[in-house]
Amino acid sequence: MSFLKRAFTDGSNPVGEPVGVRAILIGVAVAYLFVMLVLPTGAVFVEAFRKGLDAYFGAIEQRHALAAVRLTLLVAAIAVPANLVFGLAAAWAIAKFEFRGKSLLITFIDLPFSVSPVISGLIYVLLFGAHGWLGPTLDALGIKIIFTVAGLVIATIFVTFPFIARELIPLMQEQGTEQEQAAISLGASGLQTFFRVTLPNIIWGLLYGVLLCNARAMGEFGAVSVVSGHIRGKTNTMPLHIEILYNEYDFVGAFAVASLLCLLAFVTLALKSLLEWRFGEHLAAERHH
Amino acid sequence: MSISITGLVKSFGHYAALRGVDLNVRPGEFLALLGPSGSGKTTLLRILSGLEAPDAGRLTIDGADISHQRARDRQMGFVFQHYALFRHMTVAENVAFGLRVKPRAQRPANAEIGERVDSLLRLVQLERMGDRYPAQLSGGQRQRVALARALAIEPRVLLLDEPFGALDAKVRKELRRWLRGLHDEMGLTSIFVSHDQEEALELADRVAVMSDGRIAQIGTPLEIYRNPANAFVCEFLGNTNRLDCVIENGRAAIGDQLFYASVPADAGRLRGIAYVRPEDCELRPSADAPGLKAKVVKVFAAGPTTRIELRRLESDEVIEALLPHGAVAPQPGTEVALGFRQLRVFPAPNT
Repeated sequence: MSFLKRAFTDGSNPVGEPVGVRAILIGVAVAYLFVMLVLPTGAVFVEAFRKGLDAYFGAIEQRHALAAVRLTLLVAAIAVPANLVFGLAAAWAIAKFEFRGKSLLITFIDLPFSVSPVISGLIYVLLFGAHGWLGPTLDALGIKIIFTVAGLVIATIFVTFPFIARELIPLMQEQGTEQEQAAISLGASGLQTFFRVTLPNIIWGLLYGVLLCNARAMGEFGAVSVVSGHIRGKTNTMPLHIEILYNEYDFVGAFAVASLLCLLAFVTLALKSLLEWRFGEHLAAERHH
Repeated sequence: MSISITGLVKSFGHYAALRGVDLNVRPGEFLALLGPSGSGKTTLLRILSGLEAPDAGRLTIDGADISHQRARDRQMGFVFQHYALFRHMTVAENVAFGLRVKPRAQRPANAEIGERVDSLLRLVQLERMGDRYPAQLSGGQRQRVALARALAIEPRVLLLDEPFGALDAKVRKELRRWLRGLHDEMGLTSIFVSHDQEEALELADRVAVMSDGRIAQIGTPLEIYRNPANAFVCEFLGNTNRLDCVIENGRAAIGDQLFYASVPADAGRLRGIAYVRPEDCELRPSADAPGLKAKVVKVFAAGPTTRIELRRLESDEVIEALLPHGAVAPQPGTEVALGFRQLRVFPAPNT
């Protein structure tokens, strides 16, 4: 690394760019970052506080706003653990076993990344809606999915499906199965092997995947919008509530809730950075062993 | 512990890894499974450990059938080629693993586990390394941790997969002597897989040479070196010269010279291959002496023996000869007559 440091402090470095080129490159990157990311995020907070602190807290303390926050947290609290279990199972199956249709399974795991979230939402309306394939059957059983919390959870699970599995598959593939075999030959049961050998080896990658999954689960708009029905206080998550407030010209309200969502994102980012800072070596070690 | 293996068959898809293996391992024996890669030796070891299930065949230990016993119940100490140490655990935790995962009723108390780990680390000469992580150890040290971890469960049999494969030459030699000592001292029954014939011949009580999913020959190192049962074993063990010949009436003709061959006299006339070890070659200085006519190409005198490369005058075949230390080596370019103290003749595979 020291040669890199020299390259950036010493202008005479033979492979480095001339000072002018370097300044332009850095300038472009910073300006782009500022315009595309910092400015909009700043605008959220500026707009939220435009009419003062009282207006801000007034907007947040509204019944429907609080309900939206609770609902967002609830949906994430169900969707993330569900995808945690699934992602772990899928990564385990893909990394540690050979079976037919494996590449197909990998492709399917990636599907939510390549399909527009709005389409994902529509799929569920077509499946579970009143006029959908399974709608009449579910109706007869008294189960409602579309326009309920269940629908929101299902749509969110679909959209955030790949995050944990995708994080774990390469990690587990690289680690192979030798340590598990060693554990079994030493007399460990399947569960003991999982909790004492497999899990500790992937724990940091797993946490990383959970954070990414959680961030997306809380911020999802498109798929959730289609299945929600926008019933205030019942099926409006934070992103949906923001849109409604904005369409009603309640800018302070919209940006106040948006600022909360931003704060949740910041917490996620901070946790992620903390993980990388505190356990960076473990993360790197998991990747490179 | 005596192990008996009968009729073991295993395929992976269309690939037949084992095609019917029978093997008996005697109590206290140090047995080597020797063969080229793909000969099935590692598969055999993994089936013994229970990590792989055979398609057919029977395994017994001291008479008890273990064919269907799960790997975790078999109590076989398995040492992996790349050690497979748990890298998130310290050396001591690695060694303790097999004790800690025992069912509560059989699990020793913490203090006892600590004592056992300490004594095992002393045994493998790593007593001060207990707090280190595997990543902080050298290859030879990791190997010994893997061994201590396998020994912790007081295995009925110790199975080692290419135990010295990933080590450099010097550590390898040291470690294998030490391992042999440990085996004798602890009264273990051990089976190890190797593709290195020197290692197998030096270390093992008996060597099973494997080829193409079968055991080609089993015997003491001396037996299989001196009396290879077939062309494969002959070629695989040690350096050997290979000469085309014709077998007839119990004799093998190489060029115009006839040699006695242990092939049935009534087999008729067939093409064969004669194997001669370099140390069994005899150089007769005069070109008129009986023997195969050959010309000295190169002489390598540096080393404990003198190695001589010769070329047959009739067929251009290259032959290597070893002369004992102190013998007078001919000059390159001289013509000599080659005699063979011992040669093995087998029918050529396609006849």
